[in-house]
Amino acid sequence: MAEYIKLIDVTKCTGCRGCQVACKQWNSLPAEKTIFSGSLQNPKDLTYNTWTLIRYDEVVKDGKLHWVMRHDACMHCDWPACAKACPSPGALVKTPEGAVVHNPQYCIGCKACIAACPFDIPRNNPELEKMAKCTLCYDRITEGKQPACVTACPTGCLTFGLKEDMLEKAHKRAEAVGGTIYPSNPKYETHVMYILPAGVSPKDLQHTNPNPSMPLSVLLWKNLFKPFTLIGMGAVIGGAFLHYLIKGPHEVHETKEGGE
Amino acid sequence: MTMSAHDTKVYVTDVEERLVHWILAASCLFCVLTGVGLMFHSWSIIPTLLGGYYATKLMHIYSGVVFAGMLVYSYYLWRKDCGFEESDLDWVLKAGGYLWPVKELPPVYKYNAGQKAFFWCLIVTGVVIVVTGLFMWLWNPASVPNVLARIMYMLHAGAVVVLAAFIMIHIYLGTAGNPGTVSAMITGYVTKAWCKTHCPRWYQEKFEKDAQA
Repeated sequence: MAEYIKLIDVTKCTGCRGCQVACKQWNSLPAEKTIFSGSLQNPKDLTYNTWTLIRYDEVVKDGKLHWVMRHDACMHCDWPACAKACPSPGALVKTPEGAVVHNPQYCIGCKACIAACPFDIPRNNPELEKMAKCTLCYDRITEGKQPACVTACPTGCLTFGLKEDMLEKAHKRAEAVGGTIYPSNPKYETHVMYILPAGVSPKDLQHTNPNPSMPLSVLLWKNLFKPFTLIGMGAVIGGAFLHYLIKGPHEVHETKEGGE
Repeated sequence: MTMSAHDTKVYVTDVEERLVHWILAASCLFCVLTGVGLMFHSWSIIPTLLGGYYATKLMHIYSGVVFAGMLVYSYYLWRKDCGFEESDLDWVLKAGGYLWPVKELPPVYKYNAGQKAFFWCLIVTGVVIVVTGLFMWLWNPASVPNVLARIMYMLHAGAVVVLAAFIMIHIYLGTAGNPGTVSAMITGYVTKAWCKTHCPRWYQEKFEKDAQA
């Protein structure tokens, strides 16, 4: 199965928020009442019903102002911590196309994925006890269509295509504009990539993780403590059995009865 | 003269202690069962039998609430009997006579050093499990950074590794490893010989002094 990447060329974003609207429309997500917070960013953060939004940052570097508008949504990690932490089979699935898809039918609302995500993407609905996030429009891309946000983008900031093509495109474009690719760690692959404008690093922007990785706590939990729960209990039961065979039980001598 | 049960046995565990022990044990083991069912996808038979993963989550939480209550009760019930004393070190250095031949063990009062260690291990890991468990149940992702939250999930699982293994030791030594012990937690009675062997100082103080008086 071919793998896909959504490429976000931040240098081309005008902040029209067509992607935000298209996401809501395709995924039937209701609008939210929001509060004006002095920024064009609205709503302020991702929510259960807002799976993507444009984040606005004003970055001043070397006396130069950068007005950065960044389409923020699930990064669709190659090795997703959310799915690793999830206790319910089928609730969070890594698909062969590269999308990490949640299935509300199986979600039990434990919030483990929200804790585990290195990009702080999943959002919780406490009343429904379900999580939600961007699915990379899995229902569209498996039908040969583009994700809804990409379809709506008027400037060519959002593009979607085969992994190899998009990687090549990303490197060419980054070179052309003198910008950087985020996430830049080749060991941590994601199926969403950014081209940041020249002079802007992920550290300057809100809600980014400059060094994404599978969180150590998730690794300890799932790769060490989880197996050792059973290994520990099993070892003790085995040890007890051997103790019973070799040393034998500690019998009480009834002769002690009645005083000696 | 034939000896009646009253002559050969002594009452060592009252009904309050036995109830607290078994409610604590049942809620704890049920939490281990449901927890293993939630953690290992290959053990999906557990959630399947219990009515699905969501039902299993709820049962894990509510059983945990019972466990938390009984943990607090246990602390007040047994903390004095489980206070360490100097001779406990000697007992530990001799591994309680369980592993290699030991000439003489320090005379135990009500609980030996191993039992005391289990009690305090239960309290410490139990508190970690309850606090992190309450957090996992009730935390609001809108106000708590997930960097902190994920540590809680890890600690919850980490404390269980220690407690679950120690519980298996506790079960073995309370049953097959020490014949005659388990009745202390069922009927509340043990034989006088058992009590003299396992808790000589306590036996002397509690039963022989009474008899003399």
